[in-house]
Amino acid sequence: MENKLSREEVLHVARLARIQISDEKTLEKYQYQLKKLLDEIDKIKEVKNYDEDFLIAPVDHEAKPTKDETQEEITFQDVKKNAPHTKGNFIEVPVMIHE
Amino acid sequence: MSNYLDLSILELNTLLKEGKVTPLMLVEEAFRRIEKDPEINAFITLNKEEAIKEAKALEGMEVDNVLFGIPVAVKDNILTKDLRTTCASHILDNFIPIYDATVVSKLKEKHLIIIGKTNMDEFAMGSTSRTSYFGAPKNPWNKTKITGGSSGGSAASVASRMVPLALGTDTGGSIRQPASYCGLVGMKPTYGRVSRYGLVAFGSSLDAIGPMSRNVYENALLLNVIEGQDDHDLTSSYHEIEDYTRFIGQDIKGMKVALPNYFMSDVVSPSIKEKIEETVSLLQKLGVTVERVDIDYIENAVTLYQIIAMGEASSNLARFDGVRYGHSVDDAKEVEELYLRTREEGFGDEVKRRIMVGSYLLSGENAKVYYDKAMQIRDDMKKSFEKCFEKYDFIIGPTTCTTAYDLAQDTDDPMRSFLDDVLVIPVNMAGLPGLNLPIGFSREHMPIGLHIIGKAFDEARMYQFASFLEKELNLKLDPKGEE
Amino acid sequence: MDYKTTVGIEIHCELKTNTKMFSHGTNGYGNTANSNITAIDLGYPGTLPILNRGAILLALRAALVLNCEINQQMYFDRKNYFYPDLPKGYQITQARTPIGIHGYVEIEVDGKPKKIGIHDIHIEEDTAKSAHSATSSLLDFNRAGVPLIEIVTEPDMNSPYEAMAYVEKLRELLLYADISDCKMEEGSMRCDVNVSVSKTEKLGTRTEIKNIGSISAIGLAIEKEVEHQIVVYEQGGTIQEETRRFDEKAQKTILMRVKETGNDYRYFPEPDIPMLVLTNEEIESVKKEIPVLPNERRKKYHEKGVSEINSNKLIQNRDLSDFLLTAPEELNLVLASNILLGDTLAYLNKNRKKITNTKLSMKKLTDVVKRLEEGSLTSKILKEIFNDLLETDLSIDEVIKNHGITQVNDTDSLNQVVKKVLLENQASVDDYHAGKERALKYLMGQIMKETKGGANPVLVNKLLIEELTK
Repeated sequence: MENKLSREEVLHVARLARIQISDEKTLEKYQYQLKKLLDEIDKIKEVKNYDEDFLIAPVDHEAKPTKDETQEEITFQDVKKNAPHTKGNFIEVPVMIHE
Repeated sequence: MSNYLDLSILELNTLLKEGKVTPLMLVEEAFRRIEKDPEINAFITLNKEEAIKEAKALEGMEVDNVLFGIPVAVKDNILTKDLRTTCASHILDNFIPIYDATVVSKLKEKHLIIIGKTNMDEFAMGSTSRTSYFGAPKNPWNKTKITGGSSGGSAASVASRMVPLALGTDTGGSIRQPASYCGLVGMKPTYGRVSRYGLVAFGSSLDAIGPMSRNVYENALLLNVIEGQDDHDLTSSYHEIEDYTRFIGQDIKGMKVALPNYFMSDVVSPSIKEKIEETVSLLQKLGVTVERVDIDYIENAVTLYQIIAMGEASSNLARFDGVRYGHSVDDAKEVEELYLRTREEGFGDEVKRRIMVGSYLLSGENAKVYYDKAMQIRDDMKKSFEKCFEKYDFIIGPTTCTTAYDLAQDTDDPMRSFLDDVLVIPVNMAGLPGLNLPIGFSREHMPIGLHIIGKAFDEARMYQFASFLEKELNLKLDPKGEE
Repeated sequence: MDYKTTVGIEIHCELKTNTKMFSHGTNGYGNTANSNITAIDLGYPGTLPILNRGAILLALRAALVLNCEINQQMYFDRKNYFYPDLPKGYQITQARTPIGIHGYVEIEVDGKPKKIGIHDIHIEEDTAKSAHSATSSLLDFNRAGVPLIEIVTEPDMNSPYEAMAYVEKLRELLLYADISDCKMEEGSMRCDVNVSVSKTEKLGTRTEIKNIGSISAIGLAIEKEVEHQIVVYEQGGTIQEETRRFDEKAQKTILMRVKETGNDYRYFPEPDIPMLVLTNEEIESVKKEIPVLPNERRKKYHEKGVSEINSNKLIQNRDLSDFLLTAPEELNLVLASNILLGDTLAYLNKNRKKITNTKLSMKKLTDVVKRLEEGSLTSKILKEIFNDLLETDLSIDEVIKNHGITQVNDTDSLNQVVKKVLLENQASVDDYHAGKERALKYLMGQIMKETKGGANPVLVNKLLIEELTK
């Protein structure tokens, strides 16, 4: 079995994660590294589950909803402290193109 | 030059009450120690100005609790209002939180003084703290060695006695493993015991905040402060608030302890197994029953962890997109380009690998094949732990397979960071509390730790057990003393 | 064989809550951009969702109104995809355990009832709003996190008409149950339509028409899309699964994008929200809070003889319909609805008021209707005094007196008036005898004029006929 993923496979998962891979050397490194990780992960297929129950998070209590009341609002001044690009009262992003 | 920070917290508390020591003296001493040894690289951001201001403000105030005025370090994935919080990542290297994490509010309420934000693996992804954008911290016992990770900076800051206490976080061993490598007590509390609000999420169903300290008692003191239900975190538990020190000092005779065979298998180095065997003999001498057991599915924990932690991470880190905060490329022509380039520049290799794999695992049919299956096995594993706890008070084993290794070792192996945590990951999967207790040293005089796993919400008994053993062992755990 | 049209509809409705689904940020439409926001709504690092109890109860109410089975143990799921209006990079929704499943909405097709199956109704959060220019887009996070329910039908509709009837019916139900204000123009109700055509029993490939702006546009869009698909098939082509939008000006649907294989949406259970449990008691108490729904009201109107026109008008004017809910059983709803939908409605519209903000109590209305029935009050006098009834606390008698009107019930004095009017209007008397019914009305009017409207019309009528037939 091949010990690396194809370029296309790596580029596909990079695309899913919205990560650009600009240089060939990095891409090649990922071909091997991701393959190694995925081979380990594939071992799950051989593990036999005892029953169909599943665990999302180890929490025994139920979710407690809270009151429908306004609290803890922040201002746009707060937002501006960290926002990379703003215009007036808005956060600005480059043109959004529907895929 | 004063050396108050070598005293125990109880001693400091007495001196503070008597007015013989002021919070300012402690804070200044902490910064002096940090500045004297920059090589350790324990901190990403120091809170010097604010800490001194806060210490001065405490002067003349009543010393109303045992941690009043005590310096504390906080891992840099826990939000501190107006104090830069980077997660050791380029993508957040200018991020100024607009609110405090719940645990940070609790520290401030009790008038602990935050000295700075500690170094770590980028977004807590790693087992060595080498994935930090700010360079790896170094092990105070031997500066050519790793601190472990991801809470490596927190571990280094306490081990080098810069601060007596630090907060770490543990998604797959990130408190206990560096505590073991650095000779500290580190507790990962039961999932839900401590609020996660304000902790930058990595693996949401695994993440826990916990205390790191020089000894068991002081660890319990810090857990006393940070625990408790929080309306900001729906997963935080409604268990009653308790005093975790209350059983400390009580005998452990008659307790029953399980030692899983897997924890003594070939994955563990012989010198560590030897130390565990010694500890088992000591426990037996103290009247504790130790029995070998098998716990189903624990050998699958790393595989489960990779699926669940990477899946959740790929989702949790999607928000770092250059739109609302953090690093952002300035000249993107359209949004997709903004995403692709911001994230290429902002994240390091380990993080990229994990979120790529995580995205793959959740896409299309893979979600069923991998994620659903992992959630089923996870439930099975939790149940097999519960079955074991029907008969035993604790489960023990080594915390790590080896002692801290060289900073230059295995930097290119993507599996290494997972294999380092093979013994501690099962605890996060089951949501159980786990504690590292130093039990001795290797031939190279690097610390070795015992991993104590308790039943859910049984932290107080774990402290009792660990403290009793700690007293019997009576180790010298200050690396300065060895120089 | 002809093509059979199949339509399924997905509707997103914003819930009428004070705050957002997973935060305590204000749910406000039309406020200053980025003024109703919390750290959670912006997806700040370290934030975790809370659950808005008000939103959950409204979603539960919706599931009950749509006759759904309730999932009493619910999880939430994350739907992961990248878009600037999605702050966390995922939307919290319910993919595995929607709050309601297997429901239905009953519509009428050609006078016969038809059930449109509801596949599921689930809770989710809205995205931020974006405004686009040629060079950039601006984001307003006020809407980010506003509670939504998505209502997904089975592919049970077979014509544009049925689709429109369904949406109208659904809208009416959600409005009446106080779940959403359902304003399509403000986006608090948004409609996506799935359309396919087929000559066989097997469903054809469907296309999705996104975000249609009005109920009439839904009908048109389906009609045009069906035409489009049939043309494609007739020319030997195939339909692809794709997303289209309806261009109202061009009167046609336009391709937006071909659907991906679903790979780009990545789902997994939301670990930050433990299981949410709805108890039987909670469900029962929500049931009790549901206002009387239109069908039940229509049934009552029908039983009481109210015309269909008035019945529909009442349903459209929720305020008046609600007012009638407090009516005593014996109230003549025909007369009452005439009064409410006539002068009252005109007054309310003119003054932009609600019936509950006027002085017209149910007791007053009942009194008015009773007097009209007896004939002790004429509609003419009612018109004259109506404003005072709406605007003052005075009783009907007091109002009448204030207007200088005295009701004449005295037979003797009325007889004199009748005789006087007949003498003065011989021509009309002759017309009456010649069989012209209209003459009687004219004479009545003259008598009322003579008494300044104060005469008891029933009594006048009786006396007038007696005198004429003498």
